[in-house]
Amino acid sequence: MTEKLLDVENLTMKFGGLVAIDNLSFSAAKDQITSIIGPNGAGKTTVFNCLTGFYKATAGSMFLNKENERLNLKRFSDFKVAQKAGVARTFQNIRLFPQMSVLENLMVAQHNKLMDASGFTILGLFNAPSFVNKEKEAVEISKYWLDIIGLTHRADDDAGDLPYGDQRKLEIVRAMCINPHLLCLDEPAAGLNAKESAELNKLLLFIKKEKKTGILLIEHDMSVVMEISDHVVVLNYGKKIFQGSAKETKNSPAVIEAYLGTEE
Amino acid sequence: MRKNFLYLSIKDSLFTGLIALALFGPIVGLRTVAKNEVLVVSPKWFIVLVIVIVCALGRFLTNLYIYNRDQKFGIQSTIGKSITNFLDTKGTQIALSAIIFSVIFPFLPFTDRYLMDIAIMMLTYIMLGWGLNIVIGLAGLLDLGYVAFYAVGAYSYALFAIHFGWSFWICLPIAGIFAAMFGVLLGFPVLRLRGDYLAIVTLAFGEMIRILLLNWYQLTKGPDGLTGIPRPSFFGLPFKSFPDEGEQTFHTFFGLEYSPMQRIIFLYYLILVLALITNLFTIKIRRLPIGRAWEALREDEIACKSLGVNPRNTKLTAFAIGAMFGGFAGSFFATRQAFISPESFTFIESAIIVAIVVLGGMGSQTGVVLATVFLIGLIEVFRDFESYRMIAFGGAMVLIMIFRPRGILATRKPTITLQKKEATK
Repeated sequence: MTEKLLDVENLTMKFGGLVAIDNLSFSAAKDQITSIIGPNGAGKTTVFNCLTGFYKATAGSMFLNKENERLNLKRFSDFKVAQKAGVARTFQNIRLFPQMSVLENLMVAQHNKLMDASGFTILGLFNAPSFVNKEKEAVEISKYWLDIIGLTHRADDDAGDLPYGDQRKLEIVRAMCINPHLLCLDEPAAGLNAKESAELNKLLLFIKKEKKTGILLIEHDMSVVMEISDHVVVLNYGKKIFQGSAKETKNSPAVIEAYLGTEE
Repeated sequence: MRKNFLYLSIKDSLFTGLIALALFGPIVGLRTVAKNEVLVVSPKWFIVLVIVIVCALGRFLTNLYIYNRDQKFGIQSTIGKSITNFLDTKGTQIALSAIIFSVIFPFLPFTDRYLMDIAIMMLTYIMLGWGLNIVIGLAGLLDLGYVAFYAVGAYSYALFAIHFGWSFWICLPIAGIFAAMFGVLLGFPVLRLRGDYLAIVTLAFGEMIRILLLNWYQLTKGPDGLTGIPRPSFFGLPFKSFPDEGEQTFHTFFGLEYSPMQRIIFLYYLILVLALITNLFTIKIRRLPIGRAWEALREDEIACKSLGVNPRNTKLTAFAIGAMFGGFAGSFFATRQAFISPESFTFIESAIIVAIVVLGGMGSQTGVVLATVFLIGLIEVFRDFESYRMIAFGGAMVLIMIFRPRGILATRKPTITLQKKEATK
């Protein structure tokens, strides 16, 4: 068993009387891909929103284990989860900065470290060498990721002009540019064709292997889930109904029932 | 097909005539005159008829020659494209020649006092436009109360200069800081607002400041305004025709004849330098992380949060820096006029500045200049027609919106590029 990266314990999220997540516990390991699957409305995206600070969980705790500290994500509000804890995410409907160039999108993701280097903008105004170097470094990092997804030649085009599949990949590497410990992907394969989703698998496996970043994946596309996940958590009506390896999941009667219903 | 089109055009122009009749009938047609101390309606149907016919005929002709289905797209996009192309390829040359022109402008043979005054006014609006461009164009926060910061700058300059006798160069940064503080003050309550709601609150903020200035009589002298604001001096040398005993003035120091134009020219260069500083600052800050964060925030706030960008600080800096430049422009206004009253800071000023930014093309620095020259120039050209000035102003806006719906200059240049790649291309 590899090291645990994320521990979600008894997470509960209520909207008024509606219980979206009910006492959910699961964990994700450091260099593994953990998939969260479940029928529509099962509460998958709500789990993400709690993890990344967009919602304040009603009860329970979420711990992120870094090298030598254990952070309770519940204590960070929205942008601080990304800034302080290093949890990055993508969105179900792509959220790029469409009128900014591809490179700029990646530069915004490195905002915090550049902002520090620019000395509250004052050093930056006068082109201080420390800032110029840091900026060059950031461009190199962006270029590294663009090379990986093969978009270097379009670096100066508007992100909104890219084809859909490339936008998906760009959003993922943009999230990687904040150098996260945990990457949460909300349906990255939605709307991709077979070739694009194969490329996506490759990219995710690369991130897992080379960057040692834990990946949490919400996905409906079972070909993606089965091929790359190391661990699967199945939700239904906000409750965990199953967890195990991809193979076990496929054969689990509880999962089949949740997706297809029971025979009368 | 052709016949059907003609039929549609006629129908359309008849409908236009009907609308014109409904509008101008009561407005123009029914005029009240006082006769023997009684108001009597004296209808002027002939004029109404002429207006209606002109409207209908005009609509018919534009239908035939401009909105013709086959050409409709043609005319608009060719004009637009040629403008954009021209400005894209010759952008730096145009900017350079514009700067050179504005530097030598006071010494051109045809330049007189009147033209100088207009030029100073235009430069003030350009500076305000550039300042507001940070808030609206870059950060995407629709601020309809920008004139409040202009007022705060003007009043804080005036009060410090009158009561403490500090010089322009000390009061200028103080005025800027005060305005920036008010920017943050406005920024805090509107952090969560967006779009229309933000616009309403900022509009109210602008009015609040004006009403405050109007009613805080002890400090601002209310509607009487502040008089006797010290004029700026040329690095300690005042512009005076009759210097006091032993006092050095600008013309005695340089051994020149005294002329009131000297001060005007000095003011002109002052606002030119201030405006150019605003421009350089904006161009530079756009390329810094904070500028990029502003634009990212305009594009998608949620995505910004997910990347760890602090939306509160980012928005507040945009408000503060935009307000600061408004404050600088305000202190210039105060020192130029030597008299300020709340009447100079009404909503219409905010509206004109917003119009300049929006019509110029949001976020475009050159666009602000073009829009200012176009709109303020037009208002000046129509000065003799008094009440028709605003019609000309509105007409100009409509024209820009027809031909350049996203502003005169709508193209955006990336703040950073992978140059190596472009060189090999």
